[in-house]
Amino acid sequence: MESLQSGLKPIIEAREVCKRFGSFEALKGVNATFYEGQVTAIIGPSGSGKSTFLRTLNRLEAHDSGSILVDGIELNDDLKNLDAIRREVGMVFQSFNLFAHLSILRNVALAPMRVRKTPKAEAEAKALALLERVGLADQANKYPIQLSGGQQQRVAIARALAMDPKVLLFDEPTSALDPEMVNEVLAVMRELAYTGITMLVVTHEMGFAREVADRIIFFDRGAILEDCTPEQLFTQPAHERTKAFLSQVKHGF
Amino acid sequence: MKWSRQNPGWVMFGAMIGLLFFLWGMAIPLAAAPDPIGPAAKQFAEGARVTVWLTLISGSAGVLLGFIAGLGKLSSFLPLRWLCSFYVWLIRGTPLLLQILFVWLAVPQILPDSLQISDFACAAIALALNVGAYNTECVRAGILAVPQGQVEAARALGLSPLQTFLDIVLPQSMRVALPALANNLASLVKDSSLAYAISVVELTMVGYRVQAESYQPIPVFLTIASIYLILTTAFTTLTAALETQLDVGRKRQENN
Repeated sequence: MESLQSGLKPIIEAREVCKRFGSFEALKGVNATFYEGQVTAIIGPSGSGKSTFLRTLNRLEAHDSGSILVDGIELNDDLKNLDAIRREVGMVFQSFNLFAHLSILRNVALAPMRVRKTPKAEAEAKALALLERVGLADQANKYPIQLSGGQQQRVAIARALAMDPKVLLFDEPTSALDPEMVNEVLAVMRELAYTGITMLVVTHEMGFAREVADRIIFFDRGAILEDCTPEQLFTQPAHERTKAFLSQVKHGF
Repeated sequence: MKWSRQNPGWVMFGAMIGLLFFLWGMAIPLAAAPDPIGPAAKQFAEGARVTVWLTLISGSAGVLLGFIAGLGKLSSFLPLRWLCSFYVWLIRGTPLLLQILFVWLAVPQILPDSLQISDFACAAIALALNVGAYNTECVRAGILAVPQGQVEAARALGLSPLQTFLDIVLPQSMRVALPALANNLASLVKDSSLAYAISVVELTMVGYRVQAESYQPIPVFLTIASIYLILTTAFTTLTAALETQLDVGRKRQENN
């Protein structure tokens, strides 16, 4: 990865990160450094630990051992550190997780109002601007249930952006969507990638990974098997497991 | 039905005003009724007021108790969980009448003489403890029904555990808990009649007395039953309107 690192500032550093669920070892000593402005696609078979790894990065899952530094802050049980990190790291979920009882506008404006103590008018003006950016300003007064899956996921992206995060984590953002809605979400993500925000995207969208990502990580059985550019991975994968996975995925589409 | 769904605030307001009018003005039409109802109209009105007060006081305290114990049962602190489970187990496993008699007869023995409480207070305490235990399970079910993803999304945005609970979990849990809580409140209107056993002059006690003087149980108890029906109808209308009010997302969906 030397070629990708030159001149970039590290923003997430994971060292020997381990995580077990009962007797199942989900992460077996994962090492990875992510740099500012980098768009990383994380791929791999189901149960390979890629989502678990993403979720340890803002402590939705606590890692059992190893260390994670986000923007120089150690991620541990210290709530102050955790709050500081969660302000810097936004997350977009597979199942959107929009707040069902709040309007679209309120969904986006809530966190700045509560966490950053932004005045309501200012937070809502900003929320509206973000909704405009994802093409949903006209839906601001509706409720999540009234929107399609693709629209909900675009709102979820706007909601994460409202906190001005340095890093955005995407946990299979298009996996729960009907095929015709995948593209509208990918379009928003593509636009984001060009703004220079750091993105980590767990995905099965190989086309997106290849086109947008600067870097691609292949997870297998709780460890990183390959870590290279998309070009390298898709044209000359180093491992048999990767080849097998890629051919499976190709057949699947 | 559609109008009342779209204007839950007005329905609540209307039900409240209706209830108050009914309580204040009930003696007037009743006074015009033939014997044995007419002469006892004031007693009926007074009994209904006691029943409503008993319901409102023990109902509010019971909701509060339900929340405390419901959260306690979900606490990660084991002794607190045990305590709250014990409370629910104890109350649900014994008859309400026994609980009322216990508070009335046993508590005065425990309390010092300077702190004696009225029969009404005894009944209110016993009813609150009782409905609180049933509310506990409603609150717990409501909170458990909120998807974990909602909590994760809030925490990932940087909301504190308290903010997550107040802004996200609590409002959403109410959708599930409220119908069950309303059901308990409707039961409470009727359960409050057991207070007659400890000489609280509420509606049932009034009916018992009036029929004992007049030897005409049929008109008296029919009157009492009608008053109870009006009260429970008012209470369920109120809570139904509150449900609609809180159920914002789904309501808008229906109107679409």
